Amino acid sequence: MWHDAVLVAGKDLRIEARARVALWQVVPFAVLVLVLLAFAIGPNQSSLRHAAPGIFWVALLFSTVLAIQRSVAVESGEGTRDGLRLSGIDPAGIFLGKAAAVGLQLLLLQVVLWAGITFLFDVRVHVVWLALAASLLATVGLACAGVLYGALSAGLRVRDTLLPLLVLPVLAPVLLAGSKAWQAALDGNAASGTQWLKILVPFAVIYLVVGVVLYGPLQEAA
Amino acid sequence: MSAQTMIRRPSWFTVVGVLGVVAMAFTVWLGLWITPPDQFQGNLARLLYIHPAIATVALYWVGLVAAGGSLLYLWPRTRSLFWDRLAAASVEVGAVFAALTLVTGSLWGRPVWGVWWTWDARLTSTALLLLLEIGYLALRRVPADPAIRARRCAVAALLIAIDIPIVHFSVDWWNTLHQGGTFIDPGFQIHASPSMSWTFLLGFVAFSLLFVWFLGVRYQVEVLQDAIGDQELEVSLSERWSEDTDLVGAAASAPTPGPGTGAP
Amino acid sequence: MSYVDAGYAIALGSLLVYAVSLVLRRRRWERALRMSEPAVEADAAPAGSEPS
Repeated sequence: MWHDAVLVAGKDLRIEARARVALWQVVPFAVLVLVLLAFAIGPNQSSLRHAAPGIFWVALLFSTVLAIQRSVAVESGEGTRDGLRLSGIDPAGIFLGKAAAVGLQLLLLQVVLWAGITFLFDVRVHVVWLALAASLLATVGLACAGVLYGALSAGLRVRDTLLPLLVLPVLAPVLLAGSKAWQAALDGNAASGTQWLKILVPFAVIYLVVGVVLYGPLQEAA
Repeated sequence: MSAQTMIRRPSWFTVVGVLGVVAMAFTVWLGLWITPPDQFQGNLARLLYIHPAIATVALYWVGLVAAGGSLLYLWPRTRSLFWDRLAAASVEVGAVFAALTLVTGSLWGRPVWGVWWTWDARLTSTALLLLLEIGYLALRRVPADPAIRARRCAVAALLIAIDIPIVHFSVDWWNTLHQGGTFIDPGFQIHASPSMSWTFLLGFVAFSLLFVWFLGVRYQVEVLQDAIGDQELEVSLSERWSEDTDLVGAAASAPTPGPGTGAP
Repeated sequence: MSYVDAGYAIALGSLLVYAVSLVLRRRRWERALRMSEPAVEADAAPAGSEPS
């Protein structure tokens, strides 16, 4: 399973390296969300500084939807999914591989978003380990839940409008806990932030396990 | 068009490049060493020898070429892939200059306002322009018949040109309603001595010349890329491009044909 | 390093990097074009040398 995961992750990442869709489309989109939310909140510097962690996570969540759609689209060519299924690769491995590839892209995206809010909203991360921990845990959860729901909506013609509707409510706890954790990290208040990691850890573990177990049956059913 | 005609470079073009570099060297020399510090802004004013010039290129020259080229392409009388390629070249060069506008602007703003970024109309519209230009460049990379791609990109460029003034106006309004007054133009807070004014002007000339050079080289790259696309290499390239599905996904629409399927 | 120096360095440095990258791109595509040209010229030469 692990070997297959590495194989699939490598394939997805290599395709991305050639096509550079995440780089040219998802990253600018994320920055765009930052700008648009700033417009929504207004030019008051202190409001923006206060809203910065929430803006970071909303931008991340919307971009995750795009990254998932891209991850699914890579295999939407004629017979590609069937080919993958018939190739004998362990479906759990496919799930882990795709989730790993998406996760890596999300991590890089978070670096860009972090730079974005630091630059645009004039904030600084004071408790670095907290921010990092929250981001890493959240990324695992986002990637796993995302790839799972991506598979759920994969064959459908209404995939592009259905996926956001399905997956965003599911990802809401990550948004909640992530913003709170980052707010604590930006304020320098580690104590209040740590409790929010208690949501992110189970979320990540649950969707990792559920994904490994359900991805295969999901592919068979599609 | 043979390889020879495509590779040949007009001599005036190299001259423009050399003049641009020379003007740039003089601007730097004058700007950093010869001119006196400003009585209000001190040495920070030296950034104003390059920042407004870069911004002018990014907003006005690029806008002129991209919008003008797109219009000329769409107009049947003057339709020619030359205009499309010129517009596309200017958008890429424009994105570089827009990014530099933001960087030099922030570096100037940081010591003055204490923050790296402020949501004033100019900076914000330039930021949005950069994002729109990245969108255009992403659109351009989608494989398609050159004429279709040209039409698509021309419309995109015109929409961007129309949009930026609207954005600028709205952000300006958004800001002034909040601040209750106009944002003081930092450029006017300079008491310019003659050497400063000349350096300022020289900076404009230098960056404008360099813009023409960049535009030319990027245009040549565009022409060469299209030429290669028409030939045998197209086969292996379209294999690579078939992996380049856009976000809407191939499931929702028929797969686009590889490049070069139209008449050369 | 002052803000001014940083500004000049970044602006000019970036333009230099971009210029070099453009020239290298142009050279790469020119080379590709030249390599695919001989096939076309070889076909054209005998046709051009035929007496009218």
